[in-house]
Amino acid sequence: MESQFDNTDENYWNRSSRAAFSFDDEEDVDLGDVGARTKTGQASQSSKWDNNEIFNDDTISEASFDNSAALGTLNHLSIKAILSDEALKLVLQEQAVDDQVMPKGVTPEEELKLLRRQIQSTLYSPNLELTAQRLLHGKVAPLEMFKSLVEKRKLLDAVLANGGDAIIGVLLFLKRTLNVTQFNGILQQRPKALEHYLSYLRQCGDVSNYIDTLQRFGRHQEAALRQFQAALSCTDMATRKQQLQRLIDAYASAGVGIIPLYEQVFHSALKLQLVLEKEPLGDLSQRIGDNPTPIEVLYACCAQNKNWKEQDMLKISSPQRFAADQEISPAQYEWTALNERAQSQAYADLECIFERVSGWHPLKSKQFHISFDLTLAVQRLFELQAPATVLQLFLSKMSNSPEKLVLAQRVKCIKAVIDAMVSMKQQQELQQLKQTLPDRSEEQFYCENALKALQSKRWTTDNIKLKL
Amino acid sequence: MDVTLEKKLQGFQLVAQEKLQAILCSIPGKKELILEPELIKPLEHVCTASWLKLKGIQRIYKHDAKQRLPRDDDQVHIYMIRSLLGTYQTLLRQLQPLAMQISSESPDLELRAYHIICVPSCYGYFHALLEQAGLCGLVQLHHYNWDFIYLDQGVLSLELPNLYECLYLQGNSSALPAMAQSLRLLQMICGQPAVTLTFGNHSAQLMHLLQALGTVPQPPNPPDFGAWLIMDRDKDYVSTLLTPAIYAGLLLEVFQLRAGEIVVDNANNKIRTQKLHLLQGKTEYATNQGKPSCIRLNSACDEIYGDNRYKHFAQASSLVRAQVKALGLELQKLNDMQLEEMHDYVARKLPKLTELKAKVLRHLNASEIVIQMLGNFRRLQTLEEDILNNVSRKRLLTEIDELLTTDGQRFNTLRLLCLLHLCAGVAPEELQSFARNYCNMFGHRELCVFQQLAQAGLLPVLQPERKTSAKLLSNLPLPKFQQTEFQANANRLKLLTSCADSEQPAAAGSASGHPAIKSCPSFVFNGMYIPLAAQLCSMLLNATSSEQLATKLAMIEGLQVHVGAQASTPKAYAAHLKTASTENADVFPLRLRNLFVFVVGGANYAEIAACDFVSKLTGAQITVASDTLLAGSDLIAAAFNH
Repeated sequence: MESQFDNTDENYWNRSSRAAFSFDDEEDVDLGDVGARTKTGQASQSSKWDNNEIFNDDTISEASFDNSAALGTLNHLSIKAILSDEALKLVLQEQAVDDQVMPKGVTPEEELKLLRRQIQSTLYSPNLELTAQRLLHGKVAPLEMFKSLVEKRKLLDAVLANGGDAIIGVLLFLKRTLNVTQFNGILQQRPKALEHYLSYLRQCGDVSNYIDTLQRFGRHQEAALRQFQAALSCTDMATRKQQLQRLIDAYASAGVGIIPLYEQVFHSALKLQLVLEKEPLGDLSQRIGDNPTPIEVLYACCAQNKNWKEQDMLKISSPQRFAADQEISPAQYEWTALNERAQSQAYADLECIFERVSGWHPLKSKQFHISFDLTLAVQRLFELQAPATVLQLFLSKMSNSPEKLVLAQRVKCIKAVIDAMVSMKQQQELQQLKQTLPDRSEEQFYCENALKALQSKRWTTDNIKLKL
Repeated sequence: MDVTLEKKLQGFQLVAQEKLQAILCSIPGKKELILEPELIKPLEHVCTASWLKLKGIQRIYKHDAKQRLPRDDDQVHIYMIRSLLGTYQTLLRQLQPLAMQISSESPDLELRAYHIICVPSCYGYFHALLEQAGLCGLVQLHHYNWDFIYLDQGVLSLELPNLYECLYLQGNSSALPAMAQSLRLLQMICGQPAVTLTFGNHSAQLMHLLQALGTVPQPPNPPDFGAWLIMDRDKDYVSTLLTPAIYAGLLLEVFQLRAGEIVVDNANNKIRTQKLHLLQGKTEYATNQGKPSCIRLNSACDEIYGDNRYKHFAQASSLVRAQVKALGLELQKLNDMQLEEMHDYVARKLPKLTELKAKVLRHLNASEIVIQMLGNFRRLQTLEEDILNNVSRKRLLTEIDELLTTDGQRFNTLRLLCLLHLCAGVAPEELQSFARNYCNMFGHRELCVFQQLAQAGLLPVLQPERKTSAKLLSNLPLPKFQQTEFQANANRLKLLTSCADSEQPAAAGSASGHPAIKSCPSFVFNGMYIPLAAQLCSMLLNATSSEQLATKLAMIEGLQVHVGAQASTPKAYAAHLKTASTENADVFPLRLRNLFVFVVGGANYAEIAACDFVSKLTGAQITVASDTLLAGSDLIAAAFNH
């Protein structure tokens, strides 16, 4: 294996792949790279092409020339050792697209016979097996002599049994030679043929025909999806909106049943368009492209929002309103806002994001509420280099002290480490920690106080305390 | 002459060259080759640039879909593209102006200035499209199939990357004949197997095609394979959807694979590009590396890969690290040497050592990126294990949802949901709420993906609500005791190794630390699951009679045994043998111990490693081939090509 891609040779390939394999070793190596060339502008192109003259032998290709002489015998293995002559001939023959060539050295009588047979099968009675066989082998086979509907059907069924590209080939022939009713009738009875035809329409990018065919064969939900996709891919905002509106109306009134998910997403997409139309996204718009996802827009809304204490629910671009409109889950809303606020280093706003006023009891004070694992929040804040006080705030909400201790140590939040140790009454560890802290630092004071509190607490035993 | 199996499989390259040469040499004139960029890497496995030059190609270009390469009058342009309708149409549109230019004088048909070579096969209807574009007579079409490309010892690939999408998502079987042709070539080189086991519709169809293509001439050597196993990807989605625990598998999870080579590019690795840019957290990472390096996944070219490819990742990465240290020490020796010694050392050993060092460092870099990218791998594995064994279903859904929110990966998060659907079944309502969150994250335009994945059987089908009274009944929350098809088959074939009731509960806790079970091919998934291909291989190799095999494979639908031109279920075959026992002998136990495994729709490294393990255990040789090699995210990504 090593020898076939000899080192020098491999280098050559890598090098030449950059230079688009041009054998020239001229100064403008990327000449052959058509992609790179487009950027250089249309005007200079023609002249550049003229520069690209006939190749001159360079040493590298000479080197690989030597190597390629040995390629015929891969590790001294010749093709004859693995494949018989007969088989190789067959393989090469089968590769040819068209083999309608008269074999050499036949007698005139035989030739006449051959020609007669050919005329017979082209003009009068088509040979079904032979045609199917030729199609299977990937050869050109004339289909025009399949004239009657019965013959056409038989032909299709024959290729359907084999499978392969011939199915689409025959279908296109049928489409050309039958009227719409007949063609659709044939598709209706053969689901496999229909799949192939749909796949063909889809791959060739004929969207309107694709959607029509889906609808005609009762696949309305798929058709709606495709229409939705087509609407979203409109570059012009106005037409995008218009098409979405039309789709929503048609979907609701078609009477073919509604998939709630589809309906919801169609509506949200339209609402998103309205927001994008009304509210420019600011400097973020370059970073998120012109077809942003709801979360990306939410991120932009967060970046623009000034008042986090009392969000203006009348403004469609205030984060909470937007999240409600788009049915963004609380977890997604909180996570996006957390990331955005932390990136903007507006840590003070975090408290507002994670507090809930309980609706049924307005007098009750605001409570901390988070919809995903606190650990993840702390880790992300740490990643975004939030200050220790912010980390401590989040860590203080953790109820499980051992976990809190581990996490606090990981994110190097000393105060939270102290808190966790206090709640686990780890006096010794606290003492040790205190010694490692720098003298007269804030953390050291905090630690000292914690220790004092812990020691004094020992005397005010809990069981004496009055339960209030 | 004695030719080993390995040599024969490498010999596919010679046949591919022979075929290409036949096309190139049939075209006269000053030839220029214009390659579709994606074809370059696989073509490197067929021939070198100098070889092409030897065959009369004067220059080679990358094809640009945006504009056509101008041509001099005496030149012949040969385009080489994949046989994709879209690509082909773009090319025809580019060539369209030619049809206008041609004046009334009839062009010389023998000297066509344009040729299009379609890989792997020029579809019949391409001719019709050519005619419609008015290019018939100006452009000549060719088939070219390079057949199996030998990527590594025991690993072959056809390098047809879009096959899964066509076959499983669109139900388009156009590429099947080309695959059958390649299998036919394998028969010509390695002989016919005594028995072929197929699992799934496409596999059975391939066998049918193979017979329809006609008999093959006898190979010059005795046959190599005792049995073939051809299976559809959808019969074992789980081995693709689970995150593998082995080195090669994880490399593919993180890095882009192109024809047996991965590109170690940290800035654009597969995981990073799946995430929403704005929510990535840390944005600064090492971008200073100039050119991303490549690692060839071939044990003959890269001994470090060869040593580690199928090892548990933790083990492999620590071995690589140890090797880096050892090499460092080795190079330090230079300081303590005498001058003469040093001369000798520099002349002889040093070049080799530096080369080895470069290789090891590449692996070190790659494995460090993998560790960084996978983040909390243990959590993911526990989640996957719980999904696989259907432990506390409700929590699984919330956990997937949390992953979507806090570490949303376009393909991998969806992949977990698909896994959940296969193992425990996802209800349409559950899909609905997930899909809402998913579309919020990645855009409304991804709504189609759910329909596509439902097509492949990876997600439930959403049914439209009809305003009828029958709705009431279906809305009643009836408890379902149904097993999913996957679970039923997995239990029958004993694929789940970490269930509570299994005999080896050891695997559960010992996540990535050290592989607990070394005696079971399930080590590729940390002892959770045995890939179906490996299990079927070991059944084939261990079967003492057809009857024994039939009882093992009882109750599994879609399996067919092909002996000669006969196809039947394993049970029917065993029964048939009993009645007519005298004339045809039982093919089991297999006389030849080599197996050929072909996966229709993309194999994965976990499968390959598990087969390799089985082969070592049984003293057989197993070659795994497929149309392409896929990681789980690649499979899901196929649903996104709309």
